[in-house]
Amino acid sequence: MKRTIAMLCLTAAAALGAGSAAAQEIKVGGLFDLTGITSDVGKPYAQGVQDGVAWTNAKGGINGKRIKLVAVDYGYKIPEAVAAYKRLVGDEKVVMINGWGTGDTLALKDFVNGEKIPYFSASFAGDLTDPAKTPYNFFVAPSYSDQLRAWLTWVKADWKDTSRAPKVAFFFGDNAYGKAPMEAGRRFCKENGIELVDEEIVPGNFQDATSQLLNMKAKGADYAYVNVTTTGVSLILRDAKKLGLATKFGSNPYGFSEALPAVAKEVAEGVTGVVPHVPFGENVPGMKALVDFHKANHPNDTHDAMYVRGWSYVLVWSEALRRADKAGNLTGEGVKAAAETLTNFDLGGLTNPITYSPTDHRPSTRTPIYQIKGGKLVKVAEYDMPRRPDWLGL
Amino acid sequence: MRCGDFRETYREDMAIFDTSFARWLVAIFLAALVAVPFGASTYWLDVLNRILIAVIAATGLNILTGFTGQISLGNAAFLAVGAYTTAFLAGRWGLPFPLVLPASGIVTALVGMVFGVPSLRLKGLYLAVATLAAHFVVEFTAVHWESVTGGVNGISVPAPKLGPLELSGDRRVYWLALPLAAGMLLFAKNLFRTKVGKAFVAIRDQDISAEVMGVNVFKYKLLSFGVSSFYVGVAGSLLAYQARIISPENFPITVAIDYLGMIIIGGLGSILGSIFGAVFITLLPEVLRLLTGALSGQFPGLIGLFSSLKMGLFGLAIVLFLLFEPDGMAARWHKIKAYWKLYPFSY
Repeated sequence: MKRTIAMLCLTAAAALGAGSAAAQEIKVGGLFDLTGITSDVGKPYAQGVQDGVAWTNAKGGINGKRIKLVAVDYGYKIPEAVAAYKRLVGDEKVVMINGWGTGDTLALKDFVNGEKIPYFSASFAGDLTDPAKTPYNFFVAPSYSDQLRAWLTWVKADWKDTSRAPKVAFFFGDNAYGKAPMEAGRRFCKENGIELVDEEIVPGNFQDATSQLLNMKAKGADYAYVNVTTTGVSLILRDAKKLGLATKFGSNPYGFSEALPAVAKEVAEGVTGVVPHVPFGENVPGMKALVDFHKANHPNDTHDAMYVRGWSYVLVWSEALRRADKAGNLTGEGVKAAAETLTNFDLGGLTNPITYSPTDHRPSTRTPIYQIKGGKLVKVAEYDMPRRPDWLGL
Repeated sequence: MRCGDFRETYREDMAIFDTSFARWLVAIFLAALVAVPFGASTYWLDVLNRILIAVIAATGLNILTGFTGQISLGNAAFLAVGAYTTAFLAGRWGLPFPLVLPASGIVTALVGMVFGVPSLRLKGLYLAVATLAAHFVVEFTAVHWESVTGGVNGISVPAPKLGPLELSGDRRVYWLALPLAAGMLLFAKNLFRTKVGKAFVAIRDQDISAEVMGVNVFKYKLLSFGVSSFYVGVAGSLLAYQARIISPENFPITVAIDYLGMIIIGGLGSILGSIFGAVFITLLPEVLRLLTGALSGQFPGLIGLFSSLKMGLFGLAIVLFLLFEPDGMAARWHKIKAYWKLYPFSY
């Protein structure tokens, strides 16, 4: 029995080792959440990445080389992400990884920077933008911090009462993603005469936010920024409606998309949110490829901004791969260096142009704000946050 | 084929591996284990390391639950204490692993003994609930004592170090975990041939009789909590060294339940059972992952079902074992051995 187990381990190991990559194939790791607490937004994002890869391969891949996406579902659990990372880098020998959440991306940052694996996370945490600390971390959007700053700028513009400053509350999940932009938000409020009256923490997976909302009501918040994913935002909106709150709610790119009015129905009306990647079907030049692919492959699916986001990621890192390949340096270091040559890289309007430099990984600071009007997402403002040096990595 | 099993001295009667054939088998098995890293991929080394860690922790829990009869739901918490102690001692103070490993064990043993105090008055389910408190206290501390634990973001742990020697990567951690697991198994096996071990077993079988016979029940119960937590703490320390990043998510309550499942499936009150259980419960999701991965071409929805399948099979395995082999895989193993010993003349 014991020997059998050992033999099995050995044979399995040999079998795994034998499956080496074909010559004309570029292996990219994909770390997705399909079953965890953020799977509501993780699934459409993963589909966007997978479809983006399929589309890129159909268009000739990376200078003729196929991208092979090795996808893993890690259930939004850090230990699972670490195990999956080891497998992707140790066994699959991927050249880079398309990752997901803030907690796991921050946890893996020492690994990816030690082993020189470019890591494009779907987390936009401001901590990841300073190449002095995290040279191999990238993402494709304004940072969470810049998004919150932009939303607070919108609050100032929306606030018409000159007798007092607007009162703002922050709602966030008890995890790295929830907490990521909060320090930036606190400082921005202080600098800009916005009164931050309340911070409420909700658990990762919650069913009821009544007590937090009652706290917030007692503090008299005029606006609240909800930094949780779509399911959580709709729960909070539902409870706020039940309690008759007059607070104006805003949310982040993972809480605010076409899915929000679909789930929360009429309580989503008037809610604002940061939408760095346009809603699916928006009239921009880059959308044609997505719509055509959608019609050809799965015409009955519904898509949202998360799907567009996944697709945009592939457009950006496949360009980095292409430039690295052209330079004959298709390694982690080569891809990082190639990504840092992207300057105002145009994605046909799917998201604002992307720029990385060796000293600044803030991809973009232009942040569009949308509002739900009549069940539709309508763009109401767009703010360009300055690239202040003291905001780098915050 | 031997025709009998003759023991002529006490020494032979007490031997752990009672025949030279068994000794040879164990030697071959150990040699195979030593050889594994030369052929195994990173993924399987990761799995093997997790098995070794689970073996140590399950043995610890078996000492407490299987041998002393004290149910504990605090294993995940004790694992966390060991892991965070390692993160602190190795990360903050830069201590080498020969100091960090035992220190993590000792700190965990002390914490375990504190949470073992209610065992004086509480038994069975009540004790289980009391140790459950340990879980939530430790979890809360891990989340909110950010200066030491890094909070929800977790904390990174340096590779095990001793002077210029650095055991980074799963292959090198394996060299650390394998002898440690072997040594701790041998210690546990021998523990139950001593006065202390016999006292544990006496308490499990009938605590009042044990007291009457002169066993200081409270002292030995606490000692059992201490020894058990020491094992779990060392396992936690290895886990920290292997994962290199630990966060409260490493230690959910399901980990404590997994460990109870290991010793139930493996065999309560059996060192061999701890090994079987740890191997079975650790391999179950991995085999399932390979299967769902291999079949995902035909059934794309399968990957999404993986986590529910895992829980379902885990539950099913426990129910089936309780029904058909309540003494666990170790008992079944002995039955199989006994059958083949006399094969083909079983009567």
